[in-house]
Amino acid sequence: MADKEKDSKKVSRRKFLVKGGLGTIGVVAIGAYLFRSPIRRQILGVVNSLEAPYLDNIDQPMIWFEVTSDNNILLHSPKMEMGQGTFTGIAQMAAEELSVSMNQIQVVHAASSTGNVDSFATGGSTSISGLWKPLRELSAMLRVMLLKEAAIKMNVDVNQLSVVDGVISGNGKTLTYAQAAEGVENWEVPDVPVLKEAKDYKYIGQPIARVDLDAKVYGDPIFGMDAEMPDMLYGAVVRPTKIGSIFVSADTKAAEHMPGVVKIVVEDDFVGVVANSMLEAEKAKDAIIVTWDSYDNLNTDAIVKMMTVGNGNSSVIQKNGDSFDDQDEIVTLEFRSPIGAHAQIEPNGVVAFVDGDSATIKISTQVVGLTRKEVAKRLDLDAEKVNVVPTYLGGGFGRRLHTPHAVQAAIMSKAVGKPVKYFFSRKEEFQHDMFRPPTHHVIKGKLNAEGYLDGLEHQFVSGDVATDSALIPNALTNFLGADVGAIRGGFIQYTAIPNFKAECWHVELPFATSWWRSLGLLANTFAMESFMDEMALKANKNAVDFRLHQIADEPIDNRLKNVIKAAAEKANYNEEVKDSRAMGFAASIDANTPCAQVAEVSILDNEIIVHKVTVAMDPGLAVNPDQIRAQCEGCVIMGMSAVLYEQMFVEDGELTPTIYGPYQMALMKNAPKEIDVVLLQGKDTPGAVGEPPLGPIGAAIANAVRRLTGERLTELPLKLSKKV
Amino acid sequence: MKLKPFYTFVSLFVVGAILVFANTPKISGYSHVENEVVNETKSDDSYNKMMDVLTHQRCMNCHPSDHIPKQGDESHPHYFGMARGEDDHGFEATSCNTCHQSENNLNSGVPGAPHWALAPASMAWEGLTRAQIAERLLDKNTNGNRSHQELIKHMTEDDLVLWAWEPGVDADGEPRTIPPVSKEEFKKAVENWFADGAVIPSK
Amino acid sequence: MEISLTVNGVLKTVDIADENTPLLWVVRDTLDLKGTKFGCGKAACGACTLHVDGEAVRSCSYPVKFAEGKKVTTIEGLGDRENPHPVQQAWVEEIVPQCGYCQPGFMMATAALLNKVPKPTDEDIDKNIINVCRCGTYYRMRKAIHKAAELQAEKVISESKEL
Repeated sequence: MADKEKDSKKVSRRKFLVKGGLGTIGVVAIGAYLFRSPIRRQILGVVNSLEAPYLDNIDQPMIWFEVTSDNNILLHSPKMEMGQGTFTGIAQMAAEELSVSMNQIQVVHAASSTGNVDSFATGGSTSISGLWKPLRELSAMLRVMLLKEAAIKMNVDVNQLSVVDGVISGNGKTLTYAQAAEGVENWEVPDVPVLKEAKDYKYIGQPIARVDLDAKVYGDPIFGMDAEMPDMLYGAVVRPTKIGSIFVSADTKAAEHMPGVVKIVVEDDFVGVVANSMLEAEKAKDAIIVTWDSYDNLNTDAIVKMMTVGNGNSSVIQKNGDSFDDQDEIVTLEFRSPIGAHAQIEPNGVVAFVDGDSATIKISTQVVGLTRKEVAKRLDLDAEKVNVVPTYLGGGFGRRLHTPHAVQAAIMSKAVGKPVKYFFSRKEEFQHDMFRPPTHHVIKGKLNAEGYLDGLEHQFVSGDVATDSALIPNALTNFLGADVGAIRGGFIQYTAIPNFKAECWHVELPFATSWWRSLGLLANTFAMESFMDEMALKANKNAVDFRLHQIADEPIDNRLKNVIKAAAEKANYNEEVKDSRAMGFAASIDANTPCAQVAEVSILDNEIIVHKVTVAMDPGLAVNPDQIRAQCEGCVIMGMSAVLYEQMFVEDGELTPTIYGPYQMALMKNAPKEIDVVLLQGKDTPGAVGEPPLGPIGAAIANAVRRLTGERLTELPLKLSKKV
Repeated sequence: MKLKPFYTFVSLFVVGAILVFANTPKISGYSHVENEVVNETKSDDSYNKMMDVLTHQRCMNCHPSDHIPKQGDESHPHYFGMARGEDDHGFEATSCNTCHQSENNLNSGVPGAPHWALAPASMAWEGLTRAQIAERLLDKNTNGNRSHQELIKHMTEDDLVLWAWEPGVDADGEPRTIPPVSKEEFKKAVENWFADGAVIPSK
Repeated sequence: MEISLTVNGVLKTVDIADENTPLLWVVRDTLDLKGTKFGCGKAACGACTLHVDGEAVRSCSYPVKFAEGKKVTTIEGLGDRENPHPVQQAWVEEIVPQCGYCQPGFMMATAALLNKVPKPTDEDIDKNIINVCRCGTYYRMRKAIHKAAELQAEKVISESKEL
């Protein structure tokens, strides 16, 4: 394919920028790694469950590496570290091709001034898979560049040189990378060298401890909330409690004279306070009386009614064979999922300083490029002069794909001429979240004479996930008219069934809904895999055999079959209730990563207890198996928290609850005491990890409950309707 | 909130069980009894005035029968699984005082008062009738071996008891509700009831 | 008003306008110890847990005035890279943190638990460790807590031998 050929040559067409003087000697900056495919292909890539390639700024020079004078490598990561372990994985990839030891690599978040700005986002489980090729290629190129300079300085033929831990040796001489880089002004840019073969990997594939482990264990100030700037003031923004509130006017008189207040900032769309301390800003904020236009009478029932299949627009996202004709033997089940909050523990916050025509924004963000663009646009600044300095994220989960608070802090900073730190209260976090939309699913199935499905249909409705998001242009969020986020997990994966159809409905809600880790996957898989379980029971077949029989034979199908078999085997899956415990099975494919889970469940005092979860997942090549296990464990627990406990309500036009506790989440006591993870490798490149394990957990638990009690639970969060 | 008749029936039996094993109540042995107490109307006799207070959520929430403190006007179980523990002060490392201090916190909305803790298990009132509460109050086996005089002092002077009238604000900054009888009236009612012989009216 | 307190072994005197300022903000902003985290401000999540006179306290709900004359320990004072507290060592060995934001609060709560219950059972852990972690690191935390108990016991034995 002509297209593919161009791709393979793309690195030789790259531009390099070699730039010195970043405070260290021997600074090497490597410029734009060109990826020429249009954004559209990226979007379609996600839609088609292929891993998205890394997408960076085209034609912009950027800094990836610095070689420091003490012979370490600084790697400026365009991907943010939010717990998913990306920094560790990319350090392993870079160390491998650079031939340095792990502790010679320090990964930092790329500030937007380095030029290394990810124009998409940290999300979608794409960081490691997307950087897999380009980062190793860039690392290998840097190694060759350093070797060439060393060859000149050492007066040894480059082919006679070898590197161990950043020390170049040949012909009895040695030179460090730092010495090789020192004073070089014009670098010769090589072609992409041959990359290491898998059998030679020293770091890739090893369960190396997280590179940020010490910082996180000893309490280093690494998060957005810890950021400061000299002479900093504190800001607060008045936020409405009612859904759909539009700012009308504000009475700021009382607040103006309160202690510590520096300035009240009234804009067209918000009112902010700048004060000497956070508590003073908060108190003054409470004294501002704002008139809002809002909906008063909204409640959860109205939202549920809106969110019903048949409402809004629909599009068929998958179809094969015929629709149901004989209505008699069709089994229909309906499922629902509630509004979900991100509830990340670090509130959204930012420190902004607008200084003349430039700005510095320190922030926990998943979208450096978007944050920069929005600040530049609203304050009428040149984007190049807005330096977004990302920090470690105290949880991302999709919440930090929206950062309008950066704009508000920048406006407040401009108004007072000083840096302003501004962060959300917990109540504001809960009421102004960009929620996981509620969903409704109608699933129909019909068994044939052999007890397998002759037809399967999934109709589902969701609020916005990707649609209407600032992150991707609206025109690109639609795949055949459907929301690319909402449809994650909504496809039928049992494509050996002769007739199937998936249709996605879209309803716009009166409050913001958006990206929540794994997007539609959590609810869609809960519904689909619960239904499959019910059909297996109806057909009187083992749930695992029933699934395996109806999966087709494409490569992804075979990987799905393998994880299903591996999970069943590892968990010793069986369908008997033993010692008041039952097992539930479920599987899903997300972003080309198949995952199967077995949940072992009992019921105590009418509460669902999850004792053990077995996870089998095939993420392709495991760059860091320990962190992949950690993601599986975390997804199981976050997933069970969402499917067993979490739920936002709408009461009298307000989103509620607004604090942990009433917003019930899994605690230590609820977490399974055993989580057994089996990793398979069904392909030789790394795939998605951070979201796929969220898919099966809901149905796995519900299916176990079905076997324990006979009750088919169809609504999240899962609650037993009768005493057991 | 009205409870289903079925529960009422079960509960009457369970209350009996609690009375028998008053000093070692079991969590599993507990269930709600329909609350016969009406707090909306003020009572005019001393006994009922006193009981209007003792059965109010501000008092009752910390006199649980299931070892689980309650919160709010709807008396939901304390979030995060907090419970009595060995000494009425919560668990070994996460005790009442991990969050509750000796005064209300107006920033966080966490209530506080000196010696913040659950009433001892022997003084579990939740689910009892007024008469049963009064019996427990007067019984030296359950009331911490207090004489009438000591009871009057406890009920009219103890900081934690009187906290009911200064309960601070909740997490939303909204003031907590207070008992339907004023503090002064309550003190008077307690003193008068004891002065009149601490008679528990029969139905 | 001036308040004197010992923070991580060092006597500090701070001048605070409002004596009801949560200890959390004095620790973070006045004393610049950022390891103690703000999560909810309502004593619900536990991210701000530190020790006051050895007891676990949620510092967002603890007025600084109550800390007068007391010993406050934060994650920075629990141990350091050279001399990790057994809890920190166990956290490193089990590779517990993901995003890491809630972890100092959990480690402080765990250290307080081990002071009271040197060899906690799963039930002890479930009752006492009730902070909130969104990444779902509970599974590794439980393992780390048991490991920390072992490490602490070994430490006590080796220290008593040295004596």
